This record gives sequence, structure tokens and C-alpha cells, in this order.
Amino acid sequence: MKTSIANFRLFSILAIMAFVTFSFNVVAQGGGEEEGLPLALIFLLPFILLSLFGIVWMILWPAMFVWGAVFSGAKVERMHEEANQRRDSLSKRMGREILNSIDGGYRTDVSSAGLVHANGVFGPSHWHLMIGFVNNLIGGSVTVFQQVISAGRAEVMQRLREQAEEDGWDEVINVRIDTASMTPQSSNTRNTVRGVEIFAYGTGIKYE
Amino acid sequence: MQQVVNGILVVNTETIPGKVITETMGVVSGSTVRAKNVGKDIFAGLKNIVGGELTQYTELLQESRNEAVGRMVADAMSIGATAVVNVRFATSAITAGAAELFAYGTAVKYE
Repeated sequence: MKTSIANFRLFSILAIMAFVTFSFNVVAQGGGEEEGLPLALIFLLPFILLSLFGIVWMILWPAMFVWGAVFSGAKVERMHEEANQRRDSLSKRMGREILNSIDGGYRTDVSSAGLVHANGVFGPSHWHLMIGFVNNLIGGSVTVFQQVISAGRAEVMQRLREQAEEDGWDEVINVRIDTASMTPQSSNTRNTVRGVEIFAYGTGIKYE
Repeated sequence: MQQVVNGILVVNTETIPGKVITETMGVVSGSTVRAKNVGKDIFAGLKNIVGGELTQYTELLQESRNEAVGRMVADAMSIGATAVVNVRFATSAITAGAAELFAYGTAVKYE
């Protein structure tokens, strides 16, 4: 398995090198003619785009990293606070808390029922990942990740309430909350999106 | 809105509130694997640096889950059920850009 991957890599490197030399040859041959330039562009375009992307990424990444280091903590707190405010205003409007995790069957005056679900994918910033890494070495509770996930969970539960209100349910019973990692164990740890999906679902019921 | 999908009632409780189940017809399931395009993956990667919600992936999972529920309902319709009770969801990420969503439940007939 390992050797076949190594062979494949070698093959792709050789193929790319052959392609590049071929395109340079084409450019060199057609340099003096009028048609030479567009043909060269067509051959070299993927490589030009790739290098442009690399340059943009080199400038963008540190800038966004610093931005995240300065603002991401406050942003997470603001998200949590906003979700709590929306929850309070909704419970004032409806008169009560509408999510219940108990199973159905305690009410007999139900006219209709149906599935309600809401979800969200939340990720810690790279700055938070760095702090989390240091925190992991020391041990104990990793507060930065816990903040992100609890803010996300508050947001998703609020979305479930709003979805239930939009669909016209009086109450949601049997609410379950699932948390699944978006980053699979098998993938390489660099260059993958670190995120957690939070998914809440329940049965909306309408009274008679 | 989600109340009745193609004429089939879908709930995640063991009984249907306000109705009586007369017959169970076995487990029905639906699954889907979906991925976003490369551009949205790149945007999600950029968004990941500053943290917060990754809207592209939220949408992706929402769409795929609706599709999985739709396939489960089609499965229930094909065996002649009128409702699906005790629905459960399972999620597994295959790579960072693609996810498998699986929905299963018990097909029943109710009065």
C-alpha cells in the first residue's frame, strides 16, 4: 500500500515535470509567432493560478490568524449572548420554554405531530487551536474549545425553537442533541477543516 | 412544513401523539453522501482560521439530511406504511469536505 502511494507520487511528479518542459518547449517554439502567446497561456494557466493562490494564501493566512487571535474570543462570547437573548425574547413571546426532552404520551389532546430539526457547524479559530494544544500538554479542562461548543449548542437549540415556531408547533417533545466531529480520524491532520457539527431534533406537536 | 413528507408522518417519538399504531412493518432507512464544490471548501478553510460558524458546511449537512429523510420516506412508501416512528440520525465524516448522513426509523400503520 505504502509503495503504491510512493510510486503514484513519483509518477505524478514526473508527469508534471514532463508537462512543464513540454509547455516551455511550446512557448520557445511559438515565441515569435502571433499564436504562441495564447497557447502558452493555456498550458501554463494551471501553474500560474496555483502560484497566485499560494502567494495570496501566504499574505492572507497571517493576517487572518492575527485577526482571529484578537477578535475570536469576543466573537464566540457575543454569539452565545445573542443566542441567549433570542431565547429569552422567544420564551417571553410564547409564554414558556417549548423544548422538552421527555418522550411523548403525556398529553392526549394532540391534533398533529411532525419532525423538527436544526443544525450548525462550528469550529475553533487557529489561535484557539494553538491555546488548546498548550492546554492539552498541561492537562485539565480545555476552556477555549468548551466555550466554542457550548456557544454553538445554544445557537442550534435556539434555531430549533425558531424552526418549531415557524412550522407552527406549540411544543417540541423528545428533543435529542447529537455532536459529531467534521474532521475524520483517518485524514491527515494538516490542511483540514476543524469543526464540530451540532444537530438537534425533536417531534413538534400541536394542541387541539 | 416537515409535518407530512409525501403523505407520510415522520416523528422521533416511540408513539405518535394523539394516534394509535396498529401495525409495525420493520426498519426503514435512507442514507446519502454529499460534498460541496472546491470553492466553498476553500472559503470554509479560510473561515476556519478566524473561527466561528462554517455556514457552507451547515448548509451542506442540512441539505443532505433532508435528502436522507426523503429516501427513508420513499422506502417507507414502497412497503405501504403510513408513518415512520422513532427516527434516529447518524453522521460520519468521510473526509473534511464530504459527510455521510444516515436516517432510520420504524415504519408503521396508524389510525
